[in-house]
Amino acid sequence: MSEPLCFEDFVVGRKFSFGDHVISEKEIIEFAKEYDPQPMHIDPVAAKNDLMGGLIASGWHLCALAMRLIKDGLFHDTTSLGSPGVDKVQWRRPVRPNDHLTMEAEVLEARYSKSKPDRGIVRFRFDLFRIDASGTRQLAITYTSPVMIRKKNV
Amino acid sequence: MWLEDIPLGRMTILGSYTFTEENIIKFAREFDPQPFHIDAEAAKQSPYGGLIASGWHTAAVWMKVMVAHRTAQIASGMEATQENYLSPGVREMKWLRPVRPGTTLTYTTEPFNKKDWPTRPALGLLLSLNEARDGDGVLYYSFISQVFIARKPG
Repeated sequence: MSEPLCFEDFVVGRKFSFGDHVISEKEIIEFAKEYDPQPMHIDPVAAKNDLMGGLIASGWHLCALAMRLIKDGLFHDTTSLGSPGVDKVQWRRPVRPNDHLTMEAEVLEARYSKSKPDRGIVRFRFDLFRIDASGTRQLAITYTSPVMIRKKNV
Repeated sequence: MWLEDIPLGRMTILGSYTFTEENIIKFAREFDPQPFHIDAEAAKQSPYGGLIASGWHTAAVWMKVMVAHRTAQIASGMEATQENYLSPGVREMKWLRPVRPGTTLTYTTEPFNKKDWPTRPALGLLLSLNEARDGDGVLYYSFISQVFIARKPG
């Protein structure tokens, strides 16, 4: 990425597409063994007989992966000053091994911080898409979150 | 145990987790490599004045203690709900204060509502308020979970 984006770049309505990651069975299982060791996330055999019909990534893993794609594809080291939270996360579709993951972001709101002159608060909608082997593209997770973004030359 | 058997308004302690410099950096290197999450020295120059855990780390640990709590319940002979928890999403995730190395958070959950889910009549949705507090009772993180729980057949 060239110039790090700053608050002034995040104009309401602006959209960004980024991210390119193929999720492996190994990484689904590794994350889940540490944070979400339910059979549908760690045991491909048991998962076959489950409601979801096969191994699926933990929803928390998808949130964490979305963050990684945002950090690599949208925010530079100096762009984000953190976030106070997330309004709503929706896990729409399961993500399976070897799915290709991409991101889209849209600026929903942007305002200056009342208390801190170095930053503004940008509310984003972040969408993580899965593309499976047949090329079908589906929204996997979507969430809206305010992020504190550094202003230019501060 | 079925959705019908779960009492509302009763808080359960799920478990505790100590955030260390090591586990904070390990999580963030993989999923949220911003300077204030992965580099103790650089973090000193950040607005946080030191290393802090990724909010997604704090969030994933809830699932970890939830699954561990449930596994322990089953091992002790208590009746549990179905094997896997599925969720359409979460709401109102609030990262209220930075989680620094050495902080131990205790996670709790308290169901407050049950909802129908028309497309999955065998299941219902259990809504719970979840919190993470330190040893002094200071609230660091909260969110509302929504989990599908099997209904009593028939």
